[in-house]
Order: sequence, then structure tokens, then C-alpha cells
Amino acid sequence: MATSFKQIEEKLKTEAAKLLESGSVSLVLAYGKGYDEKHPMPYVAKCASDVANIVFNEFCTYNMARYLVRYPRGTKIAVAVKAADSRAVIQLIQEEKVKREDLVILGIPVSGMKNPKTGETIDSKTTCGLYNPVLYDVLLGEEVHGQPVVSPYDVLAGYEAMDKDARWAFWQKEFDRCIRCYACRKACPMCYCDPCFIDQTKPKWGDKSPEPAGNLMYHLTRFHHLAGRCIDCGECSRACPVDIPLYLFHKKVAKECEEMFGQAAGMSIEDKPALVNFRVDDSDKILE
Amino acid sequence: MSFEPKILGIACNWCTYTGADLAGTTRLQYPQNLRVVRVMCSSRINPSFIFRAFQLGADGVLVGGCHPGDCHYNTGNLYARRRLAVTKKILEFSGLEPGRFRVEWISASEGNKFAEVVTEFTEQIKNLGPQTKFKIEQ
Ligand code: SF4
Ligand code: SF4
Ligand code: FES
Repeated sequence: MATSFKQIEEKLKTEAAKLLESGSVSLVLAYGKGYDEKHPMPYVAKCASDVANIVFNEFCTYNMARYLVRYPRGTKIAVAVKAADSRAVIQLIQEEKVKREDLVILGIPVSGMKNPKTGETIDSKTTCGLYNPVLYDVLLGEEVHGQPVVSPYDVLAGYEAMDKDARWAFWQKEFDRCIRCYACRKACPMCYCDPCFIDQTKPKWGDKSPEPAGNLMYHLTRFHHLAGRCIDCGECSRACPVDIPLYLFHKKVAKECEEMFGQAAGMSIEDKPALVNFRVDDSDKILE
Repeated sequence: MSFEPKILGIACNWCTYTGADLAGTTRLQYPQNLRVVRVMCSSRINPSFIFRAFQLGADGVLVGGCHPGDCHYNTGNLYARRRLAVTKKILEFSGLEPGRFRVEWISASEGNKFAEVVTEFTEQIKNLGPQTKFKIEQ
């Protein structure tokens, strides 16, 4: 029997209060009330009296690992993470952006999360499809078993089967709708560069305002920079106001990386990120 | 008029660029469609260079580096191999013709190989025709 959202919320509050009262962390990254049930917000609890504001329901989709890099190194932080979110924490540890010992990871085992925009249940079509956090200190509920996890890459089959011209037309149509609000990079736990390459002016890689060439440059480079790092949480696509299916491209790159380099992003803190690593016997076949 | 493609070559200083020099000094014949930019190492190549080259009108991009194990900086091309493999996959999934981007390891003594690769790649790009997808219309 899966733990209910209400039960998870209670456990989250109890843990957060314990950690803040004992002083073992200085903040807890969790979820708080938004303007209605369907729109909870990222919330940072800084003292025990903040804990009452914490909520958790099926619309708490945000990846709170996103906020870890905002705080000075060495800050003791407790972070509430669902399955994919925990992979982001692992990836950030691999990239030495945060230290394992500075974190208390509050794992949330969950299925049946819903997209606040559409109300639809989120599954492995747009995310990695895992139910349980990969890494945690405290698990706030029972592990979720049961439903078989469909491969997160199955959704790609139709796009891989398209011929190159159809694929080009498909992406052109999608990228043309991009209004360059940058919500995708804001939502992404792995997009922490300051400045982002697209904001640079020397060299200038592409226009910052929406136009086809800059859109292509922004997206292809962003996909590249996330290669071997994207943990398939799907937040970028959900954040996008014009519903560009960015997850498809990220999944394709993740799949290729997994095949070529033998590891998926954010699965173990022992791994090194695939693209800052190599094996002497990597095959030249990957270049074909 | 026959189609004369514009091909960008990005070659590392220590191997492929020197190999190109050797091809020149030994008077080997190869097509003149390649414009070579010299970089210190294949790992210096930012993948966005390649996207940008196609946007600015390249019909093909050829990257050349030292053979794995021979990089002047020991491991540069081992990183580059992984990175450029990803670049290739991204170009392919975006819908660009896969044959327009190629990576070759060519040492300083392989003037012959340099000439052969350039000849073959130029032929391949000619067959693919002008690159129109990425190209920004002026
Ligand atoms: S690119 Fe998208 S799916 Fe991947 S980690 Fe970032 S927000 Fe999540
Ligand atoms: S969130 Fe969507 S519209 Fe905004 S920059 Fe990203 S892809 Fe473009
Ligand atoms: S110096 Fe030639 S590839 Fe690194």
C-alpha cells in the first residue's frame, strides 16, 4: 500500500521540524502553498515555525535539487526529493557542486504525480519513470512497488523511425514556437552556469531574442551541455509555456550516452560524469 | 556549374595540421574545398563551433586530431572523442544529414591519409549537395 500524499506531507513536516530544531541543517528545501491546491510552490523552511507552511501533494512536481547550488558551499541543507530529483542530487555531487556530507536527503517514494498544467499523470513518457529515490537518508513512506517501469526511452521509437527531413521539420516547428523565456534552464537542476553560454556576448553564439537561428543554437547547445547529465526529471518540458517536448531530445541524448559510455546520469555517487571522463579503450565506432 | 562545397576543417596543431603541411610540401593533390582552422588540440573544439559553422554556411565539417594515445596533451583527444560523438548524435537527431560531420585521427606523418580523407570527404559532401537546413539565409 503506497503512502498517501497526506501521510508524506506529515512525515516531511516532522522530519523538517526535527532537523531545524536540532540545528543539524540551516534550511529545508521542500514545497509550500501556492495560489491554489494545483499550484504548490518551491518553499524554503528556515526555522521550526516555517514547517507548518510545508505541503505535499500530487502537483509538487518541481525538482528541488535545482535550488541546492544557490547556497554557499558548506551550508547544511535538507532537501526533499522524489525519484528523479534524487538523481539530480547525485549528479550534483558527482560534479562537486554540493558535498554529500552537507546534505540530508529526504526521499519521497511516490507514484501518480500530476502535471499541474494538464492535470495528467506523469509517467515514463516524459520522465525517467522511477518511483523511488535512488539515494536518501530518510525515506518518507513505503517504497512503491508494483507497476512495471516501462523503459524511459520507449517513447523515442516513433521519432527515431522518422527520416531526417521529417525530423528536421518536426524540430523546426517546435523550436519556432520558443519564446526564449528561459524557463527550461531555470527549472533545470543541472543548468547552473553563470553566465549561460547564450547570454555571452564575446563570442556571441546566437541572438537572445526568439528567431530561428538563435533558437536552434540555444537548444542544440543546451542539449549538448546536458549530455550525460540530464537525469530525465522532465521539469524543463513542464516549465515550458508553449509545451515544446524538450524531453524527447534530452531522452535521445541520454539514451545514446548510456549506450556509448555505459552509465546513466545520476545513478551513483561513485561515477564520474561521462563527458569529463574517458576510457582508453573507448571505441572509435562511437564516432561513426 | 558544378557544386563546389565549402568545408570547414578544424585540425589540431600537433598532428593533423602538421599532416596537412606534409601533404602540401610533398605536393599531394587534393580538392581545395577545405578551409582549415588550427586549434591547439581536438579537445579545444567547442561543439557550438560546429553548429555555428553549419549556420554560417558550411556544407561539411571535418575535425582532425592526433591518434588516441598520441595527443600532445596526453588525454585531450580521449575527452574529445566522447564529446564529438555526442555532437554527431545531436546533429543527426536534429535532422541534419549524418554524412556532413566527420572526425578523423591523422598524425603528423600521415600526409597521404590527410589527402585521402579530404578527397573522400569532399566527394561525399558533393554527393549530399548544398547544406540548407542550418544555413542562415542572408
Ligand atoms: S534537462 Fe530537463 S529533464 Fe533533464 S535534468 Fe534538466 S530539467 Fe530535468
Ligand atoms: S521554456 Fe520553452 S519557450 Fe521558454 S526558452 Fe525554454 S523552450 Fe523556449
Ligand atoms: S594535441 Fe592533437 S588531439 Fe590533442
